Amino acid sequence: MESQKFTHLQMGALVVLRVLIGWHFLYEGIAKLLKPNWSAAGFLMQSKGAFAGLFHWIADTPGVLSVVNTLNIWGLIAIGLGLILGVFTRTASIAGMGLILLYYLCNPLMVGFFYSIPMEGSYLIVNKNLVEMAALFVITVTNSGRYAGIDRILHALVLSRRSARAVPADTAG
Amino acid sequence: MSDEHTHTDEPSDAPRGKPITRRDFLQGLATVPVLGLFGYALYKQIGYEQAQQSAGMTAETKEAAGNEVNVALLGVGAQGKVLLDAMLKIPGLRFRAVCDIWTEYHQMWAVNLLSRYNFEVNGYEDYREMLAKEQDLDAVVIATPDFWHARHAVDCLEAGLNVYCEKEMSNTLESARSMVNAARRTGKLLQIGHQRRSHPRYLHSYHNLLQEADILGRIVTANAQWNRSVQPDNSWPERYTMPADRLRDYGFDSMHQFRNWRWYRGLGGGPIVDLGSHQIDIFNWFLEAQPTAVTASGGTYYYPRETHEWYDTVMAIYEYETARGRAQAYYQTQTTNGSQGYFENFMGVHGTLLISESEAGYKGSLFREATAPPWDEWVRRGYVSPPKVNLPQEEARAVLDVRESVSPDEHQIPIEFLEPYHKPHLENFFNTIRGTTQLNCPAEIGYETAVAVLKVNEAIEAGRRLTFTPSEFAV
Repeated sequence: MESQKFTHLQMGALVVLRVLIGWHFLYEGIAKLLKPNWSAAGFLMQSKGAFAGLFHWIADTPGVLSVVNTLNIWGLIAIGLGLILGVFTRTASIAGMGLILLYYLCNPLMVGFFYSIPMEGSYLIVNKNLVEMAALFVITVTNSGRYAGIDRILHALVLSRRSARAVPADTAG
Repeated sequence: MSDEHTHTDEPSDAPRGKPITRRDFLQGLATVPVLGLFGYALYKQIGYEQAQQSAGMTAETKEAAGNEVNVALLGVGAQGKVLLDAMLKIPGLRFRAVCDIWTEYHQMWAVNLLSRYNFEVNGYEDYREMLAKEQDLDAVVIATPDFWHARHAVDCLEAGLNVYCEKEMSNTLESARSMVNAARRTGKLLQIGHQRRSHPRYLHSYHNLLQEADILGRIVTANAQWNRSVQPDNSWPERYTMPADRLRDYGFDSMHQFRNWRWYRGLGGGPIVDLGSHQIDIFNWFLEAQPTAVTASGGTYYYPRETHEWYDTVMAIYEYETARGRAQAYYQTQTTNGSQGYFENFMGVHGTLLISESEAGYKGSLFREATAPPWDEWVRRGYVSPPKVNLPQEEARAVLDVRESVSPDEHQIPIEFLEPYHKPHLENFFNTIRGTTQLNCPAEIGYETAVAVLKVNEAIEAGRRLTFTPSEFAV
């Protein structure tokens, strides 16, 4: 098997990146949870671009909207915890990318689109959402949970159990 | 030992067959303390937000928030939306119904918005149908055109509801009086929407700065203005044009008139009523008197007269007989240039108070006259900020003419208000329903202001100074 070499410093940096993104997700989720009457409706109504119809439909359909709101809040919290603790890191980071992609598709930064939601900073097509998504891609492919994170323990547990059951000859990697 | 960590699909320190090492555990749990840090930060953040919230709430409002009030909205045009936006930030309200004759546009918008906030609201075109069908209402918030206010408010009061009615109370004094009488007869609440009466900066200025500290000394002159840039007429999407018979049923000749009723005689009162009314109300409040006379000049100088029957430019001078002597107040509203926005300015012998509702414009400055007694005590108590001494280099360099006064020190009113401007006034209304406080602008005050304001249009028409008798202000 081809193995990549990372220094401890490089792995540590990836862990820091992962924890920071996780923190952001977790607080985004908890802040919405704590805000009474929070709803994605306002954000969805702003939607422009190719998928605007879908997002407007969600905002206008109370049943669907409440499911989307719940999924969004608890999705953010679960992804945040996963990234901070390094548990199911790969799943969490892929799910995080999916969520951010949805946010981006809802309000894509197309040239010449303006929104009434005020934005800080200046963006041309690339915004911080896209940057965070790319950072999650880095987390996904490097799987830092196995370096520092509960995934490491889980993985070791699985391996030790598997090897306890396996015949001694099955050691050829 | 190598500096490199071999990162493969499995932890290097737990090769196959080997038990989990202590290092696996330590490194596996390495990021758990971050959760503790997060929890601590969250705890601090929540504490901060709660402190912020309770700073804006009295003990009574906290207790009252549990008492749900059932609310209907009557009129959801531009002002209705402003009020709705503020009410959505007030806890303890349950929206039950929305009434607007523009069913296909404004009414639908409001019903959709409220349903997104999980309120089940019924939409009505005719307010009488709403009053007949909605039996659980406690209060109605009226933001219809001025000429409808009296009928709406009186019928709602008669139906046993408490009423928050936008200013101007009415476009005629006769119907404004009928509103005061209906409130008295039914014993229900009628709050008029002069929302500065509940604004923290105005309350602080009146109670602490003027009444307690008497920081300005005797006020002899005041001036206020609302300057607004040229605006196009309100339009509407063609496909949502209302049928002519419905417009006629509700008193409008055309869709254009419905969308621009403020400019039409018999429907509204023009900018002096829409804008001036708020600020002339502050003259009366802060001077603690009703005017004794008014001189005014104005006209439709810019906009086409066919669509702008009321005056686009008005300048008025009020005379007052206050408890401390005579005073005079100048007011202007013009709609062709927005420079310098809107404010009220009170000039006493000891200082000047420049105040406005806007957080963007003049949010509260005080200028101490050089001859005034020191304000140190008020600075120490936090009533006013420490002075920013206005001794610009120009003045220091220049030789002051004997006729000039030294520039006064500038202080600020240390009150920032970042919530919707109408929120405290609406809260005051709802908390009065709950019995925890009293109305800041009951019908009687709304009436006094209407008397003072409507006389301006009369004075322009008459082309001469008009006087008030004290009995005019009473119902």
